[in-house]
Amino acid sequence: MQETLATSTLLAPSRSSISTQERFSTAGQTSSTGPQPSRLSIIPPPSKSKGWNSGTKVRRMRRIIAEDPEWSLAIVPLLTELCIQHIVKNFQNNPILKQLLPEHQQKVLSHLSPELPLAVTANLIDDESYWRRCCLQRWPVCHVARHGGSWKRLFFERHLENLIKHFIPGTTDPAVLLDLLPLCRSYVRRLCVHQLLPPVQPPAPPRSGELSDSGSEGETEEPATDHYQLRDLVAGLSHLEELDLVYGVKDCGMNFEGNLFLFTYRDCHSLAATIKACHTLKIFRLTRSKVDDDKARILIRSLLDHPALEELDLSHNLIADRGARAAAKLLSHSRLRVLNLANNQVRAPGAQSLAHALAHNTNLISLNLRLNCIEDEGGQALAHALQTNKCLTTLHLGGNELSEPTATLLSQVLSVNTTLTSINLSCNHIGLDGGKQLLEGMLDNKTLLEFDLRLSDVAQESEYLIGQALCANREAARQRTLNPGHFMSPIVAKGPENPAR
Amino acid sequence: MNPPGPLGVLEEKEEEHLSTPILGPSIHSDNPQERIQARRLRIAARLEARRREALGEYLDGKKESEEDQRKSYKQKEESRLKLAKLLLCGTELVTNIQVATDIREIHRRVEEEEIKRQRLEKLENEVKTSQDKFDEITAKWEVGKQKRIPQDLWDMLNTQQVHCAGLIEDKNKLISELQQELKIKDDQYVKDLKKQSDDICLLLERMEEQVKHVMKTFRQELNYIEKAFEIERQELLTSNKKKWERALQAHNAKELEYLMNRIKKAEDYEKQLNRQRMWDWEEYNMIKIKLEQDVQVLEQQLQQMKATYQLNQEKLEYNFQVLKKRDEESTVIKSQQKRKINRLHDTLNNLRSKYAKQIKQFQEENQSLTSDYKRLVMQFKELQKAMRHFALIDDKQFREIWLMNEEEAKDLISRAFDVDRIIHTHHLGLPWTAPDFWFLRNVGPISQQPQKSATQIVEEVLMQAEEEGTEEAASEAESYLDLPRQISPKTTRKILMLLCDESGFLVESKLLSLLLPLEKNECYLLRLDAIFSALGIESEDDLYKLVNFFLKYRVYHSPSSQEQTSLLSALEPGEQPDLEGQKEESLVEGEPEEKEAPPSPRLIHPNDVLKILEAFVMGLKKPRDSRAPVKLKYVRDNSKDSAYWEALTTVIPDTTQNLWDALYTALEKYHLILTQRAKLLIENNSLEQQNTELQMLLQKYLDSKVGDREAPRRVGRRLGEAVGLLLGNESLPSLEARER
Repeated sequence: MQETLATSTLLAPSRSSISTQERFSTAGQTSSTGPQPSRLSIIPPPSKSKGWNSGTKVRRMRRIIAEDPEWSLAIVPLLTELCIQHIVKNFQNNPILKQLLPEHQQKVLSHLSPELPLAVTANLIDDESYWRRCCLQRWPVCHVARHGGSWKRLFFERHLENLIKHFIPGTTDPAVLLDLLPLCRSYVRRLCVHQLLPPVQPPAPPRSGELSDSGSEGETEEPATDHYQLRDLVAGLSHLEELDLVYGVKDCGMNFEGNLFLFTYRDCHSLAATIKACHTLKIFRLTRSKVDDDKARILIRSLLDHPALEELDLSHNLIADRGARAAAKLLSHSRLRVLNLANNQVRAPGAQSLAHALAHNTNLISLNLRLNCIEDEGGQALAHALQTNKCLTTLHLGGNELSEPTATLLSQVLSVNTTLTSINLSCNHIGLDGGKQLLEGMLDNKTLLEFDLRLSDVAQESEYLIGQALCANREAARQRTLNPGHFMSPIVAKGPENPAR
Repeated sequence: MNPPGPLGVLEEKEEEHLSTPILGPSIHSDNPQERIQARRLRIAARLEARRREALGEYLDGKKESEEDQRKSYKQKEESRLKLAKLLLCGTELVTNIQVATDIREIHRRVEEEEIKRQRLEKLENEVKTSQDKFDEITAKWEVGKQKRIPQDLWDMLNTQQVHCAGLIEDKNKLISELQQELKIKDDQYVKDLKKQSDDICLLLERMEEQVKHVMKTFRQELNYIEKAFEIERQELLTSNKKKWERALQAHNAKELEYLMNRIKKAEDYEKQLNRQRMWDWEEYNMIKIKLEQDVQVLEQQLQQMKATYQLNQEKLEYNFQVLKKRDEESTVIKSQQKRKINRLHDTLNNLRSKYAKQIKQFQEENQSLTSDYKRLVMQFKELQKAMRHFALIDDKQFREIWLMNEEEAKDLISRAFDVDRIIHTHHLGLPWTAPDFWFLRNVGPISQQPQKSATQIVEEVLMQAEEEGTEEAASEAESYLDLPRQISPKTTRKILMLLCDESGFLVESKLLSLLLPLEKNECYLLRLDAIFSALGIESEDDLYKLVNFFLKYRVYHSPSSQEQTSLLSALEPGEQPDLEGQKEESLVEGEPEEKEAPPSPRLIHPNDVLKILEAFVMGLKKPRDSRAPVKLKYVRDNSKDSAYWEALTTVIPDTTQNLWDALYTALEKYHLILTQRAKLLIENNSLEQQNTELQMLLQKYLDSKVGDREAPRRVGRRLGEAVGLLLGNESLPSLEARER
């Protein structure tokens, strides 16, 4: 309405000629008052030149013009929009991001394609949503929480893992990995490789057949099955904290062959040097890789006095007593907090040496000896060690052929120890009497939260009672965590009572 | 989940509790029943708290709030326990599979071990048996070698072959068995794989089931908890509403009460206001009347004032006129004065400029005068210098002239004396005695005292002392070097000896070595000379001052340290006249002091000598400087000169002169006679000579008659001349003769 008034005053001399159109326009306005203001505000005021005839004015006022097929309400996009589109289109050749305003940056990022080469995007884009898109496009399932909540980290870690997993020594170009190194070195903290392929076999069978005829197959085959040497890669990753390796082939199914799972001495030496040089490493896992005593000793020797290592996992290997002894030595020469030797071949002497190291250790929190064969001798040694140890919280002794003597000793430990929170004695032959003794020990304990006695020949009654005690302990622990200050004193007060009983 | 029964009870309870904070029984209440109830409630609360503590439940300080939340809390606890149990069971269920596989694995291992052991045993047995068989066969080879008969050999070979075949068959059987086992193992592996996949499937199934179950139960529990909270909230709402209504009612009642009070008060105030108004009105009337009266009086006064004002106005106008006139006059005067001031300013400026000029002039003059003055001072100084110089020269000249004149006079006198003596002795024949006058012995200007040097005095002193042993009285009579000193020479000598002994350091070592062979006195003399030169003692006065100083030092000996300064002051030039006066005084009382003097040197400790010397040298420096001009002003006394010279003229007395006059006349007469005689003598001599000459000429004439006629003529002429001469001089001899 105001606009029309303004125009009418502007065109005062030719008022008589326009008067009819004015009337028309007012009529039009009355018919569509709702959208009128918005339209007026959107369309930029046309230049008031002299050749401004009445026809254009009529057009301007109309909403839809039937005669003009190209007329539409869509507005010409802003120049910034166009620029952003252009930037997005040519991002690969000319990446402009940091110079833009934050809202424009956001727009550009939301329109970038996830297929852009990493060399362009790796160090330029920090935006999580972009990397989230990249990740979700490549992998349907993504656990961001496992990668510190960072999609970028997740992307690079999984990308690198994929590359290593499908790296075939001798055929794949190592440059593929090393080229990626400068791009991902500051983002990768965890390397979880569950498959390391051996060199390609196809040319091997005919040769090996010939060689087997000549009778010297062992020597030539050994170097042929060396896996990818991680040394250069790991040395380049300056923030690497976790290394999880399996020297083996996944999903081989019925194509199983023994030499697919060979962890050679050269691999072992190279890996030892690698982890020794990597000072930021906190967690090292090497599972299902046929690590025997000698290899374990090589690896553990390189880990002695490591500045950062906190967790060592050598489960599902072939480590026997000598390896266990080496691990025991490592316990006293590092700040190891978690040691996992599950499903190995540790027997009583190995367990005894571990117990010896454990007796005065102040770092180790968790010890897992599942599916070994330490038997009563080792179990008793460990129980003795636990009487002096003040640090261990989790102990897993499942499937170790333990029986009643260990249980009696452990029940004593339970009444004394105040740090243990979880014990697993499943799949042993504790027996009925052992169960009763454990129950007695359990009744004096106020800290244990988990005690697994499944399939260990314990009477159901005692198992149930133990479960009750555990429930009470758990409740107490919960109250303690809820208000630590209030319940501190009762515990301290109760502390001296326990040994008295 | 929540049974409706206890809910109602709870509600009731809650209601009761809600009422407590507002109208609840209080311990401090007046009603004993209420007090009892309050105590009961308190005890119940304590019991409740204890019970909870026993249960291990955390009990917060705010019991009431906890009680309020009890239902929801209970629900929460229940749900939590249930869920925890569920989770535990679920994990157990899931992990059961793992445990089962574990135990299976253990069983498998045990079995495997057993089988392995059996297999090994079997293999070992096999090896043993086959070895036995092999041994048997090899043994038979030995037997076979001994066989000669081919038939036997053939049989044996056959049997051997059979044995070998058996052995191989055994081995093959074993191999096939092992292969069979391997196949079984392969099958086993396949089975295991299948089993594993089954297990994994089961695990996944269970996990999924678990997840579903857990989710369901969680949702359910959440619903329950929500419901509980809802109910609680509603309860709270209703209770709060009730509370609110109650409060509102109370508020209304109070409001009404306030209103009534207000109305009552308003009435009261109205009454008061009316009363006040009445009172005020009366007062106002009174004041009004009074004020009106006042106004009338004041109007009258105003009229009077107006009249006076008129009068005053006229007066003032007149005055104004006068003042205007005066002002005009004053302006005229002012302009005049201003002009005058201007003029005066001009003059003042002129004067100032003049004054400045004069100041400048005078300054210049002053400068020129000061420069003149300086120049004059310079000139004066030069003049003084010249004067001094001239004075010296004059002195010298005077002395020289004096000496010359004196010499001349003395010459004359001596000649006179000679003449007199000659006259006396030769002419008169009297004995002559030379007259003895004081001035004859005098040489040089009178009254110039001979200034002796210190060393000379010392020498004298020493000499004196030497002689003293023999003629003590004589020295006393001589009054010691004609200088009136109060110090005896002996004392002086001792002091000097002491000085000489103590201040050897002032003497050069070279000199000391030279002095060794000399006599004692000479040695002292030379030493003292050196010491004096070192101390700067030149004149006699200095020496005596030194000696005096020593003596005074002794006098003030006891308070030595203090008196040194006074001694010093005593030496100052300003006090010199005083010193002289003292000297005179001491001269007067010289005798008693003299007596005390002798022991003095003994009393002066040798150690003090250096102190005294130091003080003396310090004191001596100053007077020395100021004394020089004083000396110059010394004016010669020329009163005695005329007398002297007068005396010189009267060396020859008048009597002798008269004698000489008489003698002179007599002698002159005598001289006359003598001169006549001399003349006569000379005449006689010349006549004799002429005579001889004439004789000679006659002779010649006689001789020359022969030869020359002329010659007699020449002789004759000569003779004539001679005769003439003789005749001319004839009177002289007679005179001479007469004189004689």
